[in-house]
Amino acid sequence: MRVSKLIGTFAVVSLALVGCGGETNEPTTQTSESTGTGSSSAPEETGEEPQSPDYQIGMAFDVGGRGDQSFNDAAAAGLDRAAEELGVGFQEAAAETGEAETQREERLRTLADAGFNPIIAVGFAYGASVALVAPEYPDVQFAIVDSDAASTPGDNVTNLIFAEEQGSFLVGAAAALKSEAGHIGFVGGVEVPLIQKFQAGYAAGAQAVNPDITIDVTYLTQPPDFSGFADPAKGRTAAEGMYQGGADIVYQAAGGSGGGVFEAAAAAGAFAIGVDSDQYNLVAPEIQPVIITSMLKKVDVAVYDFIIAVNEGTVESGDVIFDLEADGVGYSTTGGAIDDISADLEAFKEQIISGEIEVPTTP
Amino acid sequence: MEDEPGTRAVACVPGFVRPGCSSPRPPGACAIEPRESTTGGPPDEVAVQLRGIAKRFPGVIANHDVDIAVRRGTVHAIVGENGAGKSTLMKILYGVQRPDDGTITVGGTERTFHSPSDAIATGIGMVFQHFQLADNLTVLENVVLGAERKHGIGDRARERIAEISDSYSLDIEPDRLVAELGVGARQRVEILKVLYRGAEIIILDEPTAVLVPQEVDELFDNLRELKTEGLAVIFISHKLDEVLAVADEITVMRRGTTVATVTPAGVTARQLAELMVGSELPSPATEESTVTDRVMLSVRDLTLAGGGRRPLLSDISFDIHAGEVLGIAGVEGNGQAELVETIMGMRRPTTGMIRLGDDEITEWSTRRRREAGIGFIPEDRQRHALLLDAPLWENRILGHQTREPNVNGPFIDRRAARKDTQRIIEEYDVRTPGIDVLAAALSGGNQQKLIVGREMSGDPVLLVAAHPTRGVDVGAQAAIWDIIRAARRGGLAVLLISADLDELIGLSDTIQVILRGRLVGVCDPATVTPQDLGSSMTGAGAAA
Amino acid sequence: MQFDPRRVALTLAAPVLALVAAVAIASLVLAAAGDPVIEVWRTILQPPKPRNVVNIINSASVLYLSGLAVAIGFRMNLFNIGVDGQYRLAAFVAAVVAAQGWLPGVLNIVLTIVVAMLVGAMWAGVAAILKVTRGVSEVISTIMLNAIATALVAYLLRKASVQVAGSNNIGTAPIPEDSRMPGIALIPGAPNEVYGFVVVAIAAGIAYSVLLSRTTFGFNLRATGRSESAAVASGIDVKRMVVIAMLISGGVAGLVGMPLLLGSAYSYGLTFQSGLGFAGIAVALLGRNNPVGIAIGALLFSYLNEQSNPLQILVGVSDDIVKIVQGIVVLTVVIAYEVVRRYGVAQEQRKVARELANQRRRDSEEVSAA
Repeated sequence: MRVSKLIGTFAVVSLALVGCGGETNEPTTQTSESTGTGSSSAPEETGEEPQSPDYQIGMAFDVGGRGDQSFNDAAAAGLDRAAEELGVGFQEAAAETGEAETQREERLRTLADAGFNPIIAVGFAYGASVALVAPEYPDVQFAIVDSDAASTPGDNVTNLIFAEEQGSFLVGAAAALKSEAGHIGFVGGVEVPLIQKFQAGYAAGAQAVNPDITIDVTYLTQPPDFSGFADPAKGRTAAEGMYQGGADIVYQAAGGSGGGVFEAAAAAGAFAIGVDSDQYNLVAPEIQPVIITSMLKKVDVAVYDFIIAVNEGTVESGDVIFDLEADGVGYSTTGGAIDDISADLEAFKEQIISGEIEVPTTP
Repeated sequence: MEDEPGTRAVACVPGFVRPGCSSPRPPGACAIEPRESTTGGPPDEVAVQLRGIAKRFPGVIANHDVDIAVRRGTVHAIVGENGAGKSTLMKILYGVQRPDDGTITVGGTERTFHSPSDAIATGIGMVFQHFQLADNLTVLENVVLGAERKHGIGDRARERIAEISDSYSLDIEPDRLVAELGVGARQRVEILKVLYRGAEIIILDEPTAVLVPQEVDELFDNLRELKTEGLAVIFISHKLDEVLAVADEITVMRRGTTVATVTPAGVTARQLAELMVGSELPSPATEESTVTDRVMLSVRDLTLAGGGRRPLLSDISFDIHAGEVLGIAGVEGNGQAELVETIMGMRRPTTGMIRLGDDEITEWSTRRRREAGIGFIPEDRQRHALLLDAPLWENRILGHQTREPNVNGPFIDRRAARKDTQRIIEEYDVRTPGIDVLAAALSGGNQQKLIVGREMSGDPVLLVAAHPTRGVDVGAQAAIWDIIRAARRGGLAVLLISADLDELIGLSDTIQVILRGRLVGVCDPATVTPQDLGSSMTGAGAAA
Repeated sequence: MQFDPRRVALTLAAPVLALVAAVAIASLVLAAAGDPVIEVWRTILQPPKPRNVVNIINSASVLYLSGLAVAIGFRMNLFNIGVDGQYRLAAFVAAVVAAQGWLPGVLNIVLTIVVAMLVGAMWAGVAAILKVTRGVSEVISTIMLNAIATALVAYLLRKASVQVAGSNNIGTAPIPEDSRMPGIALIPGAPNEVYGFVVVAIAAGIAYSVLLSRTTFGFNLRATGRSESAAVASGIDVKRMVVIAMLISGGVAGLVGMPLLLGSAYSYGLTFQSGLGFAGIAVALLGRNNPVGIAIGALLFSYLNEQSNPLQILVGVSDDIVKIVQGIVVLTVVIAYEVVRRYGVAQEQRKVARELANQRRRDSEEVSAA
């Protein structure tokens, strides 16, 4: 009797939850549910903005979303630029920490159902959900950042991947060239393979210049705790330790925690290297002198190029690799702190492009 | 232990004062002769007057038509059974609850109290039965807590406390830690707290419940000081001999209303008791001794080490025979609770041995001891004997989770447990609308009858009863005594712990006195007086 | 036992009150932030599509198991805050074992589930042993064990993981095709299926109900939770109960990750859902540790989560608003339960007093008539 009651309750509750929205009929927000309407050339319905051209872009951010001063912001910059140039509308949504796989899937589906096309998923966390959802919407073009075709396959999926180790190699070389102590540091946000690529390239670059160099390595958190990407205080503490230990340049690949590394550098009168964007332009003027360079991971370029390609109908599915050769990664020179060694760095760059130097991807 | 029926009948009547009980006592042994109530001549000025007070809760009339006038310079006792409406009335007078009808007049002015602070502001103070003191603070800190504006928290306050202590002979040192004080002194701190806040009308709720006879005497001396200074004291009690000893006027409450106001001179204890219960009291029956030569519980050299220097129990040895009630007398905190817990297996003795019948049970778990036939009525029934948030029938199972009729293999046999709960309710006269009500909803007496009924189920061979009638009304008290006597006749061995010396003397076949964890003497309940017992308990007198 | 409509009404009053209060407060927050209040609720209350219904049931089954695990502890006043670490560690070890494919098909599923329960129980058992031997509060120790589980899984994951070249995710090897739990096409019209593990979740709920209200063990557990002192006096070995209850709680916590592992993820990786243990605490509070109540709480939370997904996209309001609603629901529900409980007890005391007063009046009438 108890059993049937329990099952009954399950059924009743699910029905109640299904039914309780029934009265508020919703005429405006939902577009057609069919999956075939939003082809890139002629979408039938894209919301209620009549001035919008023939398509709108959907973007699903990773945790942090627009405004994280890092990875997501880089993607947003590419989106903004493309949208402005092409005069198209866009819609975005951000992930939450520890969310369910289904929530990521639903985010993509909601965008697709609402007629957005193309849809760009930012971050490898979307790898599985893009692989699952893309086949349900064959007429929508998806892009995923940081997940390759082997892990996120699909006929309508473009995989935007980066050779972070190559860019990191160059800033590693820069650090070794500029370091007077022969002692540098690396602060990673979360110890995941992606960030380990940064570390591996950085170490290889530094050792290419000075085989005896000392490199301190710290990761702020371990997965699944991703707070290391968003905790400046942790970044500051880690970097302070390195500076006190004798390091004079620290490279941070720690997303939102990177600000703390810069503060520690300023306090210690030492130097730091930024990541993803040209962070010299993003920080307060009094911090700027500590940033000798930034490793550029041009997510903005990748996103922009993808949207333009979709617009011109030249988009291709599968891996699109952004490496030094494609100018998808690189280093910044704003501030002029590394102007004196640019010849050395350019030489390394040529060697990498030519294949003379093969940069490792794991430490 | 063979009684002479005459003396036994007199000496053994527990608790409740009955005809002939208080009179043969040597003067000064326990009952203090009321001083001539003309001391200082109580001025006729009425300090507080309650007229027509009524308080209704949905479905229950807690108070109705209550009329009381308390005059300055008197001790005014309010007596009544549990549930007669005394506490509701005091809550109304102290501003905790508001009356639905009637008026409160203090010093000639009609007052409405919205909260206790209103009552305090008009000079009413209350000393609760459970002390509201912080142990880790000094007397001074406790007294000024919440009354910082009166005289600050420094020397001015200290002076004022010393002044009050002197003028009412309270003998309180402001800088002692409350933790170091005894029960009597704590109570005086409570009184001082109330006086410090400027009270002229002091309510004392069952103040003697926690005191030994000697301390009661001291309290009464303090009360007399208070009234000589012109204060009005309202004294709530159900111990009639004390009331007769200290009060100038006595108001009796029954079923929510005041039924009579009398003076001690014009009434006997029996008459008072009859006013309280509203019918004639049963006379105590002479009890033949039923002690057999079969040892049921044997305790040898029991020692229980404590955290401090002194062990909690040292070298305790005694036997209880089938059909015997062994009473343990002692001031609370002298090892009674530890003794009970050791016998129940809730504590492991450091050394010593416990035998139940032919079995050594020293290493047995509580469960196994209970299964072997030990019934247990714990001291604090709400904490140790009941699940207040559970229905009565689940409480029936508690402590009997492994026994018939409650279980069937690993499963609870609800139907049988419920049926047996119904039986207990009927046999032991538990007043309840049903077995599905929560235990918290019952009055103390009915809770206790349920517990007694439960512990008597399953044919116990030994009953460990700690304060079995504490806080229960007269009717339930008598019923519980009857049950214990009947079981004793049936061969039950009983270990009885009680602070109620009349109860101990009345029920026990032998009384052992416990002091600082040692058994210091044996008394014969046939001859011992509460006063003698009190002396042994405090270590003042030689044990009989 | 008996059906008492008033008691049922009282039981339902608290959550309903709490929900209304939560919606009201959340609406105020929305209005204060200048967001479209009506639009938000319209989106949340719109009828879920069949595939959303499936998602709701699926994620509710996970929350339900987590809620049960927490509730077992709650029932005896044990605060197992460590369900989160327990299920993650259990899911990880189970994923590694399952991927080996030592046994074929269904047997491998059974082995996986057993391993998960054992690991969860073991991890909770650490806290239990610390509590009974050294008196360490289980709240503190389980929080610490959560952190340790996080580090341990991170450490082991790197050892045990298989990384597809070029991918930035890492995870255990996928479990063999034949030992994945088939879904159930329960909702017509949905492209996705309900986790097969829902059946296990329901069974766990029934087992919980029977264990707690029908067995001696359950009686002892509840008695210990209601009054530890009374439990000791009644002969319950409280230390033993603490250990057993923690082991059961941890065992059920081990099940939390199983619907995900066996029904959708098929491996343990960086994106494996975290934080379910904490959601379980909220769900258990909401459901008042009652098996049906927890189910309702789980469905409600999962409904809110699912329905909030389109908020950002369609209404332009962050779905954090739903987190606010959930947080307020939990807070208000705790308050509401206490208010309703006190009201209930007072009602009952009055009822008893009234009936006894009537009884007494009849008695005295009889006396006076005689």
